[in-house]
Amino acid sequence: MSTSRILLLDSDQERAAQINAILGFVDYSPMRHDLEQGPVPEERPRDFLAIVLGQLDEDECEAVCQWMRADPQHAPILLLPPWHGETLGFDPADVWSLDYPVRAPQLTEILRRISVKHLDAMVEPQAIGPTGNTLAIRRVRKMIHQVSAFDTTVLVTGESGTGKEVVARAIHDSSGRRDKPFVAVNCGAIPSELLESELFGHEKGAFTGAICARQGRFELAEGGTLFLDEIGDMSLPMQVKILRVLQERTFERVGSNVSRQCDVRIVAATHRNLESRIDEGLFREDLFYRLNVFPIELPALRERLEDLPLLISEISDELREFGRGDVRFSPEAIHLLRSYAWPGNVRELANLVERLAVLHPNSTIRPQELPERYQPAGARSLIEADEDLLDAVVTAVPEELDQLPESGLDLKSHIAEIEQALIRQALEQTGGVVSQAAQLLKLRRTTLVEKLRKYDLNRQQVSS
Amino acid sequence: MSVLRTLVVDDHVDFRRLAQVLLEEIDGVELVGLGVDGEEAIHLCEELRPDLLLMDLSMPRMGGIQATRLIKAQDDAPLIAIVSIYDDSEHRAHAARAGADAFINKADFLGSVARLIDNLQEGGNVHFTNSAA
Repeated sequence: MSTSRILLLDSDQERAAQINAILGFVDYSPMRHDLEQGPVPEERPRDFLAIVLGQLDEDECEAVCQWMRADPQHAPILLLPPWHGETLGFDPADVWSLDYPVRAPQLTEILRRISVKHLDAMVEPQAIGPTGNTLAIRRVRKMIHQVSAFDTTVLVTGESGTGKEVVARAIHDSSGRRDKPFVAVNCGAIPSELLESELFGHEKGAFTGAICARQGRFELAEGGTLFLDEIGDMSLPMQVKILRVLQERTFERVGSNVSRQCDVRIVAATHRNLESRIDEGLFREDLFYRLNVFPIELPALRERLEDLPLLISEISDELREFGRGDVRFSPEAIHLLRSYAWPGNVRELANLVERLAVLHPNSTIRPQELPERYQPAGARSLIEADEDLLDAVVTAVPEELDQLPESGLDLKSHIAEIEQALIRQALEQTGGVVSQAAQLLKLRRTTLVEKLRKYDLNRQQVSS
Repeated sequence: MSVLRTLVVDDHVDFRRLAQVLLEEIDGVELVGLGVDGEEAIHLCEELRPDLLLMDLSMPRMGGIQATRLIKAQDDAPLIAIVSIYDDSEHRAHAARAGADAFINKADFLGSVARLIDNLQEGGNVHFTNSAA
């Protein structure tokens, strides 16, 4: 992949050289593409942070647009004169017009915004819609289905990392607003003095640093859904302003007294207990009742460990789609992960799986590849004593499934998993004496020996 | 704190050289590795187990924010300082949310790194200078 982050396509050589120099100065390694070698480079449009388009003839322009349209994740476009204000059929939010001669503050401000947008869009690898078959998560899915058709305000609660944004997106995606923007704001991460202009926008000169008028997230979400994450961390003065928008559907940009109407569906979320925040005087009760119209509570991962294998397989599938390679987990590794408390919930799981996909691409993760925190103390000492003893760590039988998971399952390997776990238990109970273990399992001794060989189980290891 | 084993990750070769020269000048710091992108940072952190990682935000293949998230998932993760030319609340918020411990403006790299290391060697905590954390 290219290490040149910004692509320059301009037949005006002199200008291209100048812009190249400016970009290099502001920490970018631009790539000037020689148009005589063909209209587009070998890289994909997503390999760049931005693509600067200057003077191009009609055929070149058509070829470039086609190249970019073919890649839905193409980089944003920066237009140099003769272009100005066109969108070339792309999403207007992805197209910026530059003045020429280039003004460094304008260029860096655009690149800064592109960088923020890029970070905002970096969705953690998490399945679309909450994944799982446990009752709790099926209930959440049912509630999403019930509420999405209406414009009702939704309050999603749950511990950090349980996937509150996933729920918000699922509500948006199954609502009539799905073709309009979904805009997420983390109210806890933005300093309170900046949150107002972030949400409502500002006029030019509204405060020091407001060099141009800017749309806020409410305007950006017009017609769509605005996700206010960590609303429990919002300051009281901001809570008043949000309450007003919820009641009157109007707001003003910072530095303006013109009221703007908005048509935005609000989904709010918090990991805090808002009722106790109210008791502490940190959250407005009236806002709570406005938000709590349709509450959805997400279970912690430790309360639905049965969903772990399914979650892992969805996360791995998604990573594979993003070209991160194939990562699988051995039954022993999955078993260890099922006995962990997951304080960071699904986000912690997603980070773990993604990390392992980077470190061990296209392989099966065994317990020794897991970070120590996922390995109980006893298991760890065994592993340290002898890596081959690993199989002995796992003795429990996989949870019984009372229902076929929606995405189906690999019946053969599921049954093999159960079989292996029971064989291990039998060998443990009999101190590794195969004939006694065979009796316990109502098997012939030779059959059990055959199975031990098949599953590569060693009776000494298992029983030690 | 004894010698700070430090890893530097940045896609610009000139910047890596500069950082190398600078860190060699600071007492109590040992440069243990140089990397070019986030994926390499994950591998190097796993192998070298540094105490401190100075990592660029914007890099090809994998940027510093994503890498921070994944490095913080390892055992005994290093302290991570994100280095960026964009020192604003939004970039700081993303860095903090990913689990970074500090944020360094690239334009003031020399001064910021020296202050950060001083602070660490005196046993102080690093923290974001605004409420983003």
